[in-house]
Amino acid sequence: MPYFALTIIGRDRPGIVSQVTEVLYQLGFNIADSSCSILGGQFSMILIISSPDMQAGEDFSAAFAPLEDNNLSVFIRTLKPGGEIRPDLHGESCMISVYGSDKPGIVFQVAKELGDHGINITDLNTKLIGDEQNPVYVMMLEALLPAGIEQQELESWMKTLKQKLQVDISVRSLVTMEL
Amino acid sequence: MAVKEVLVYPDPRLKEVCAPITEFDDSVSLLLKDLVDTMVAAGHSVGVAAPQIGELRRAVVVDVSHSKLGQKQENHGLMQMVNPEIIQHEGHQIVREGCMSVPDYTGNVDRAETIVVQFTDENRCQQVIRCEGFEAVAVQHELDHLDGYLFLDRVSSLKTDLFRRKQRK
Repeated sequence: MPYFALTIIGRDRPGIVSQVTEVLYQLGFNIADSSCSILGGQFSMILIISSPDMQAGEDFSAAFAPLEDNNLSVFIRTLKPGGEIRPDLHGESCMISVYGSDKPGIVFQVAKELGDHGINITDLNTKLIGDEQNPVYVMMLEALLPAGIEQQELESWMKTLKQKLQVDISVRSLVTMEL
Repeated sequence: MAVKEVLVYPDPRLKEVCAPITEFDDSVSLLLKDLVDTMVAAGHSVGVAAPQIGELRRAVVVDVSHSKLGQKQENHGLMQMVNPEIIQHEGHQIVREGCMSVPDYTGNVDRAETIVVQFTDENRCQQVIRCEGFEAVAVQHELDHLDGYLFLDRVSSLKTDLFRRKQRK
């Protein structure tokens, strides 16, 4: 049974989730994983879905036409077989906070430093706060330190970046209490 | 040694309110032993509550002394608790919890930083103990099981909560 990634975005208002999920329910779709949030003024939905009756995106894309008429943009992507299976993630989880005066390249430079060291970003949120005179950029991310990289090393790399970008960066371990 | 199977949600027994133990007989000693054995056998676990092994009675065991997190703080080692009750709590801490009965999911939970817990121990003695940090979290988590609460009922913030609270004007 193929899985699809469904992305829906549109001006936030009450009722978007119910309209979208009603279509999915009528088509017999199962929502496996999903994440939805307001970004800017847009309500953004990303869902991994599957239905025993649906083999290809064309089988059901027409059902979303009424949503498009309601100013929602709908994108469907068919996952390759196995694409719905979560990767087995290993490593120590940590949280990195980056914030400072807004300037180009904050996300890229931090992400590049992590990517170059094989550190996997598992979650990332950014937001522009402050006012127009003093815009402040805030980025929060979760990352997995692979075996062989200690938190102190990551901290030293971030310290260098902090000076280069003139932003504040802090790193802390994010241990899950297994109870 | 009797290692019991740890029940996994949606087993309905995990949502029951457990009965107080009115008589400390051999069956209670046996239950405590099973809880300890199950906790030890589960390797990563720092506590088990009776309903997690299908016994709807108010008993839990907690031992954070073998975990990496727990070792960093002062702790009481193995605690076997019958009819435990939190009689005082103070402060707040947000911790990310996972539970053997709810595999593959973790959530941020708001717990008290320090608690005072009263219970009858394995030698039938009344104990009043002050716990803090990780040990306090473990006790609160296990005691919740006795009232049919899972950490899913306590999740206090989604990861993006920080951003949601601060709305840009």
